[in-house]
Amino acid sequence: MALLDIENLGLAMTSFEGETQILHGIDLTIERGEIWGMVGETGSGKSLTGLSVSRLIPSPPGRYTSGAIRFEGQDLLQADEPAMRRLRGRRIGMIFQDPTTNLNPAFRVGTQLVDVALHAGRADPSVLGLAPGASARALKAAAKARAVEMLDHVGITNPAERIRSYPHELSGGMKQRVLIAMAMIGKPDLLIADEPTTALDVSVQAQILRLMHALVHERDIGVLLITHNLGVVAQICTHVAVMFRGRILEKGPVRAVLKHPSHAYTKALLDAVPRAHTKRGELRGLGGIDMEAAE
Amino acid sequence: MLFYFIRRVAMLVPMLLGLSLLLFVVARLLPGDPVGLAAGPNATPELIERLRAEFGLDQSLPMQYWTYLTGLVQGDWGQSVFTRRPVFEDLMTYLPATLELVIAALVIAIVLGIPLGLLTAVYRNGVLDYVTRTVALGGIAMPRFFLGLLLQLGFAAWLGWLPLAGRFPLIGFPPEHVTGFYTVDAVLSGDWEGLRLALAHLAMPAFAMSLSPLATIMRMMRASTIEVLQQDYVLTERALGLSSRLILFKYVLKNAMTSTLTIIGLYVSWLLGGTVLVETVFDWPGLGLYATQAILTQDFMPVIGVTMVIAMIYLVTMLLVDLLYGVFNPKVRYS
Amino acid sequence: MSDLTQTTAVPKRDRSARAENWARAFYRFRQSWLSLIGLAIVVTLIVLAVIAPWIVPHPDHVAGTTNTGFRFQPPSAAAWFGTNELGQDVFSLVLVGARVSLFSAMVVIALAIVIGTLVGAIAGYFGGWIDEILMRFTDLLLTIPSLILAMAVAAALGTGVWNMIIAITVTWWPAYARLVRGEVLVKKQEQFVVASVALGAGWPRILGLHILPNIVSPLVVKASLDMGFAILTVASLGFVGIGVKPPTPEWGTLLSGARAYMPDYWWTAVAPGTAIFLAVLAFNLLGDGLRDVLDPKARR
Repeated sequence: MALLDIENLGLAMTSFEGETQILHGIDLTIERGEIWGMVGETGSGKSLTGLSVSRLIPSPPGRYTSGAIRFEGQDLLQADEPAMRRLRGRRIGMIFQDPTTNLNPAFRVGTQLVDVALHAGRADPSVLGLAPGASARALKAAAKARAVEMLDHVGITNPAERIRSYPHELSGGMKQRVLIAMAMIGKPDLLIADEPTTALDVSVQAQILRLMHALVHERDIGVLLITHNLGVVAQICTHVAVMFRGRILEKGPVRAVLKHPSHAYTKALLDAVPRAHTKRGELRGLGGIDMEAAE
Repeated sequence: MLFYFIRRVAMLVPMLLGLSLLLFVVARLLPGDPVGLAAGPNATPELIERLRAEFGLDQSLPMQYWTYLTGLVQGDWGQSVFTRRPVFEDLMTYLPATLELVIAALVIAIVLGIPLGLLTAVYRNGVLDYVTRTVALGGIAMPRFFLGLLLQLGFAAWLGWLPLAGRFPLIGFPPEHVTGFYTVDAVLSGDWEGLRLALAHLAMPAFAMSLSPLATIMRMMRASTIEVLQQDYVLTERALGLSSRLILFKYVLKNAMTSTLTIIGLYVSWLLGGTVLVETVFDWPGLGLYATQAILTQDFMPVIGVTMVIAMIYLVTMLLVDLLYGVFNPKVRYS
Repeated sequence: MSDLTQTTAVPKRDRSARAENWARAFYRFRQSWLSLIGLAIVVTLIVLAVIAPWIVPHPDHVAGTTNTGFRFQPPSAAAWFGTNELGQDVFSLVLVGARVSLFSAMVVIALAIVIGTLVGAIAGYFGGWIDEILMRFTDLLLTIPSLILAMAVAAALGTGVWNMIIAITVTWWPAYARLVRGEVLVKKQEQFVVASVALGAGWPRILGLHILPNIVSPLVVKASLDMGFAILTVASLGFVGIGVKPPTPEWGTLLSGARAYMPDYWWTAVAPGTAIFLAVLAFNLLGDGLRDVLDPKARR
């Protein structure tokens, strides 16, 4: 059984202009150990696909028009909110783009980390190394210890002290490490990372990608990495899916797709990546591509 | 933090000095003849002259201010020309009644306003939201004194559930004086009947005063909660499985409180100044009635005294609000 | 691959940006039916107040005539809001009372804007010790409970509409001074102001031509939101017995007079009270709408 199997997913959103179809039948299967990069331009529906897996799109305005999202066989589109909540943070972890806005500024990072750990521990005490039916006090103590341990694990020095910091006292890279720790503290089986490195500068980007790569291999989990950066895809992904206007145009092992793109859009996307020998004035955009012809 | 606190307290001193000077000058510059009013229409010029000398009004203005200022520090806040009673003693008699009223109104406004604001933000455009927002619009526009009259009409005259006016039954004995707050004193002395009576008298004036701050706090809280709910970190908290109750009452509440806090601080001054109106309606023996009486007889010293007390309470409240602000928003640095 | 190169066409505009802004603002205002209701009530009130002396059923009552044979008549077709302790038609009194309330509130706001703008603009533009002195003074005034100060000043000046207006204005301008000072400080840093300083324009020209016209919106918003509270303050002074004295009808004074006959002859109080409430509500709704249109960032 696949870890995540998205089949013919259709999503429509209502705005003041009426209902618009956003996703047109997405098909995607992620196995354990696979890192799927999902690329495409802004507004192509990458992020909404990621949010759909965690059922974080409010309805209304969102409405699923077709398909299924099966997580280890269970259809998430049929799951109710309590069932989804048991999965979130515990089985499915999420990381978002901007580390400065994704940590609550009024609370110490430890408070947020411990609350997520407690939530995961309540769903499954073994996550915190406890036997089923552990007392609330034991859970709390274990969650605290685990929070420190996790900060250490994502490479934050002096975690016992850092845990008492407020977000504004940390650098952008450190904040993203904290967010990764929050996403991973429940030992999830699936990690959805939505542009996790876009807001960081290049040297920190590389560190964060390396960290994510290491965590994935250590735990043998599946990852859906949403990005518009083909460089990131080439660096750490095993597979890639190219999205355009709510459809997946092309998908497969990363080498095959990047080396021999079969779709005109993928080619255009690859050509748009600036290279070391790109001369001034040669930078290409994607504007003007005729998708009707491309399809 | 401690240094900041000490500096802020020290800054109150020049503020209060300036305030006392300003009030003193304004009071003396305004036309009006309190001594003439107090002495009555048949007073002889000699009598008025003697009275003026007695109250030090024959001295030069700087001299009068100096006398006032030195007295201020020693607890001698001057004397009423009309009743000849020392102002400071009067203030201490009436202040607890007013504070009890203002605190009760503020408690009602905060205890109802903050949860209502949170809930209407979450269930936006629901029935509760529309009802409370409509009532809030009316609540802000409703004059306190008219609301007080309507309450008297409904609950005292027609339904007979609550006493019409006053702070305690005229024939009853108020609880033994400890703090001057009848409710607190009743609890301290275990006088439950006294507590019931005190609360019954407090209910209508406190509610009449609380409606406007209640409505404003609610609207403020609703707006800032809606803003906070759209923040990225709320999505992250939901995405990692935290319950909506935990998110709302822990993570959102604290963020939404910051802007509401300032409003609450400003309302303390508004409530204290506005007691004049509600105390008139309910014959509540507090600073407001005292000030009105003094103003009508152009009796300077009590008016200056009341204004100084209210300004002091206001300045201290704003200091507390600033300190609390740092609790809700850790980015604020005290330096 | 040349077909992939992006070209950007410059969109043609048939209307100026400013006209478009106004059209959009008007559209947004129309979207909010509460603001429209507020506007409708405000317009009705102003029209009624202007023509009141000619349309009231009993102009003689307004002038002070009494009719003791008709004391305390409950509301009826003959006297819509009933009659008071002197047998006067409450409807006539309340309608004419709108004149005093609206007139004094408008004058208070206008005076407060003039004084506040003057003080605030000077403090903000020149800065330094001028700013320090002016702002310390306004801060002091702001700590004084405004109603008590207004009462004290009004009582000392004696009764009369203008004395009341002066008394309220004394407490009202500091808020405008603060607002204008803050806006001037911001605008002073803007490029177009810095440029005109560099070009050698004098300060009256810079302030009057470049800075003040650009802070009209926040002033209009504050003024419209304040109208309701100014009406409330006028009525409050009347209610505590300071301000306009009978026979000039004024809502707060009418309400205060009605208190004595309260439980039995409730209509004498309900009519002026409701009038105050409606007027304040209408100006608040209008002000909220204007703020959303002119100052969307301050939306709360």
